[in-house]
Amino acid sequence: MERAAQPAVPLGQMEVFQALQRLHMTIFSQSVSPCGKFLAAGNNYGQIAIFSLSAALSSEAKEESKKPMVTFQAHDGPVYSMVSTDRHLLSAGDGEVKAWLWAEILKKGCKELWRRQPPYRTSLEVPEINALLLMPKENLLILGGGDCQLHAMDLETGTFMWALRGHTDYIHCLALRERSPEVLSGGEDGAVRLWDLRTAKEVQTIEVYKHEECSRPHNGRWIGCLATDSDWMVCGGGPALTLWHLRSSTPTTVFPMRAPQKHVTFYQDLILSAGQGRCVNQWQLSGELKAQVPGSSPGLLSLSLNQQPAAPECKVLTAAGNSCRVDVFTNLGYRAFSLSF
Amino acid sequence: MSSESSKKRKPKVIRSDGAPAEGKRTRSDTEQEGKYYSEEAEVDLRDPGRDYELYKYTCQELQRLMAEIQDLKSRGGKDAAVEIEDRRIQSCVHFMTLKKLNRLAHIRLKKGRDQTHEAKQKVDAYHLQLQNLLYEVMHLQKEITKCLEFKSKHEEIDLVSLEEFYKEAPPDISKAEVTMGDPHQQTLARLDWELEQRKRLAEKYRECLSNKEKILKEIEVKKEYLSSLQPRLNSIMQASLPVQEYLFMPFDQAHKQYETARHLPPPLYVLFVQATAYGQACDKTLSVAIEGSVDEAKALFKPPEDSQDDESDSDAEEEQTTKRRRPTLGVQLDDKRKEMLKRHPLSVLLDLKCKDGSVLHLTFHYLMNLNIMTVKAKVTTTTELITPISAGDLLSPDSVLSCLYPGDHGKKTPNPANQYQFDKVGILTLRDYVLDLGHPYLWVQKLGGLHFPKEQPQHTVIADHSLSASHMETTMKLLKTRVQSRLALHKQFASLEHGIVPVTSDCHHLFPAKVVSRLVKWVTITHEDYTELHFTKDIVEAGLAEDTNLYYMALVERGTAKLQAAVVLNPGYSSIPPIFQLCLNWKGEKTNNNDDNIRAMESEVNVCYKELCGPRPGHQLLTNQLQRLCVLLDVYLETESHDDSVEGPKEFPQEKMCLRLFRGPSRMKPFKYNHPQGFFSHR
Repeated sequence: MERAAQPAVPLGQMEVFQALQRLHMTIFSQSVSPCGKFLAAGNNYGQIAIFSLSAALSSEAKEESKKPMVTFQAHDGPVYSMVSTDRHLLSAGDGEVKAWLWAEILKKGCKELWRRQPPYRTSLEVPEINALLLMPKENLLILGGGDCQLHAMDLETGTFMWALRGHTDYIHCLALRERSPEVLSGGEDGAVRLWDLRTAKEVQTIEVYKHEECSRPHNGRWIGCLATDSDWMVCGGGPALTLWHLRSSTPTTVFPMRAPQKHVTFYQDLILSAGQGRCVNQWQLSGELKAQVPGSSPGLLSLSLNQQPAAPECKVLTAAGNSCRVDVFTNLGYRAFSLSF
Repeated sequence: MSSESSKKRKPKVIRSDGAPAEGKRTRSDTEQEGKYYSEEAEVDLRDPGRDYELYKYTCQELQRLMAEIQDLKSRGGKDAAVEIEDRRIQSCVHFMTLKKLNRLAHIRLKKGRDQTHEAKQKVDAYHLQLQNLLYEVMHLQKEITKCLEFKSKHEEIDLVSLEEFYKEAPPDISKAEVTMGDPHQQTLARLDWELEQRKRLAEKYRECLSNKEKILKEIEVKKEYLSSLQPRLNSIMQASLPVQEYLFMPFDQAHKQYETARHLPPPLYVLFVQATAYGQACDKTLSVAIEGSVDEAKALFKPPEDSQDDESDSDAEEEQTTKRRRPTLGVQLDDKRKEMLKRHPLSVLLDLKCKDGSVLHLTFHYLMNLNIMTVKAKVTTTTELITPISAGDLLSPDSVLSCLYPGDHGKKTPNPANQYQFDKVGILTLRDYVLDLGHPYLWVQKLGGLHFPKEQPQHTVIADHSLSASHMETTMKLLKTRVQSRLALHKQFASLEHGIVPVTSDCHHLFPAKVVSRLVKWVTITHEDYTELHFTKDIVEAGLAEDTNLYYMALVERGTAKLQAAVVLNPGYSSIPPIFQLCLNWKGEKTNNNDDNIRAMESEVNVCYKELCGPRPGHQLLTNQLQRLCVLLDVYLETESHDDSVEGPKEFPQEKMCLRLFRGPSRMKPFKYNHPQGFFSHR
């Protein structure tokens, strides 16, 4: 684990407070810029930091290259989710989606391009937005969060077109099944629901916790992460990480991971997952653990693969979670270095 | 002519035969009286040209006669002699003529000369006259130019202008009718007036001088009177001393203090002056005093003449009596060390009174050889304090002033030059001696005006008043805050040790009415114990756990759940918050490594501490944090989702009102308490 350098300057009130803030920081979301050279990370204080991957990966990288190029206060609450279109960075936190221009974001005092709030039912508490899903073909943005609904927003006009109801508890994660096209959503109620966007209706429901192979009642029934590869889906959370065959709604492989997983993604012929515990796990589709690569945070919440075609030299896996650091894996075998807030 | 000449010649011939010249002249003179005969007059009558002809003729005749004589002589004969005689007589006559002509010529010459001489004399006289006249002319011309150039002194005097003159001068001086037309008179009048004025002014001046003399004398008299007053006043002051004491106005005491202050070494003097000034101007609760022996201070500066004699005597004595007992090397070194660490006999005492009556006593010493100041602190309270076990270090003189400014731990000497001095006598560090000598904090040096710059080491560091003045107010305020916060903690610890978290009434709104979790233990732990705990690694690595901090362990319990909290208390409490690290033992061990909610709880007390500060000056921070910890534990236990597979009811039924139990990707529990509605929500 990376050590913080012992401060030579005696700590006054300001320094102690900043050190405490860094110790208690959690990075919830990451997003790569369309050019592939920058990485945005959002934390629990509502700040977004932009790191320069190209500078940090270059051979002349110094300690300053691992610090953000710019950090700004984006939201009042934590930034739970971020996605990038080909020109914008969309960030969502406490009830609002804000858009930032990637071209302007590196300048100081960057202002949001627009902000939108989906129409919520309750007004007592503003629900958070946990997941953002971008549908580039239809130019739609799907939001899922604390009010148990999926909202769809047209990116051109900014209007909210419809809301899909069905979940009984808040939504954790979203995934896109491209062929149909269908949206999968996993929530705290333990179910994975599939929605058809053209008819705006729920097509399929998988209640994961009801299946004995994967349910783990002592962890709860919540679905923390989802990833889909058209015919297949992998999900995890309270129940064990499981690979499902969507048409038949049957679990095919249960991955033997005790700790609840918070993020999962398909990568080439592997499944990468991360969650409680400091390692990034690499699974083969058969259920075998190929590798466990330790990171620097005690728990991980988000993984990001930089596959932008414009910057092949910045093709890295970045992992962030319960710390102020973003681990960079240049090759899936080991952690190269860490960027830090 | 010849007859005349012969007449004249005759007497002359006679005379020429025998008589001397003078005799002749005298005779001619006497004869001349009778006769009017003068050859000079004859000269005037004769024509020089004819005389010249005569001369030539005579010469010719002579030549002829001579030639005839010659002839005759050469022929010889008897008649010759008569002829020769005849011729001889004729030649003699001719010779007479020639003589006369010669005389005449001489006379003419003389006359001519005389005439020339006369004329010359005349010319000379005229020439002389001319010269005289020319000289006079020149002289007169010079005089004239002198006169023309003459600047009369009166032109140098600035006379009053004409208008003023006519205005001011009295008519008998200005005489306008006369002076208007005649500039000479005008100038004269003006000069007169000037003279008048000057006389008057001279009079005035003399008067003023005499006045001044008088006044000076008066002043002298008064001065004498005043100086005789001084001893009387002194005696009055002496008599009024008891009155002063009765009325609490110790002027004399202050005066004596200033007297003593003169013997203070420069840094202590700076401190004394600045502290007294600050106390009088801004802060009535500050009192300054000097203690120590003034005689010893005076003795430091006495030249050691007498002591040398004493030394030699005592040396002799010592040698006789203690020959065997030579001081060992260790004792010598010890003495050298003692000498190096010697304190000045005078020290400055500062007493800071706080609002509740407790007093912070600060004694400032000056180490002469090391050129640094140290301070010893003591806190006294109005009522006797019963020190709870965990509060041992809070008010101890060793640590009460530690880190008043961040990093100022007072265990090392601030003067970099001291290191070399220490090496000579084998002192490793000042830390070993601070208990005895006092702590050399950096702020103490600044209050004494001593500044030791790290970049450019200076040979001599002198005490600077402005440095002291600029730090005085901040330091006094910090000292007061420090004492207050320590006393507050002292009281709180007494309560904490009994398991009660003392929450003041103005902080009740931060917590719900019912708090079930209880604080069961509050103890102090050592720095080493803290660093060895497994759940405090992050704090240690972040450099927040120094050996100047104070460490405590709190235990909160509810049912079967036990929450351990390791607390780091920074000496700068309460501006620097205490830091909590938690470890929950309930259904397994949960720390911030494996449970996000424990991490969130730590964040609630560590990062969100500003809400818990309470009313200024924020001494309630620690107790509020502890109370919040109890509330958080309640929320944690009550909102834990029920495990369906296990039989039986939940150990902790949910009593807290929460809008939602989980939120966000990390599924956080609702830790934030909302007042006055009384429900819990998420941040």
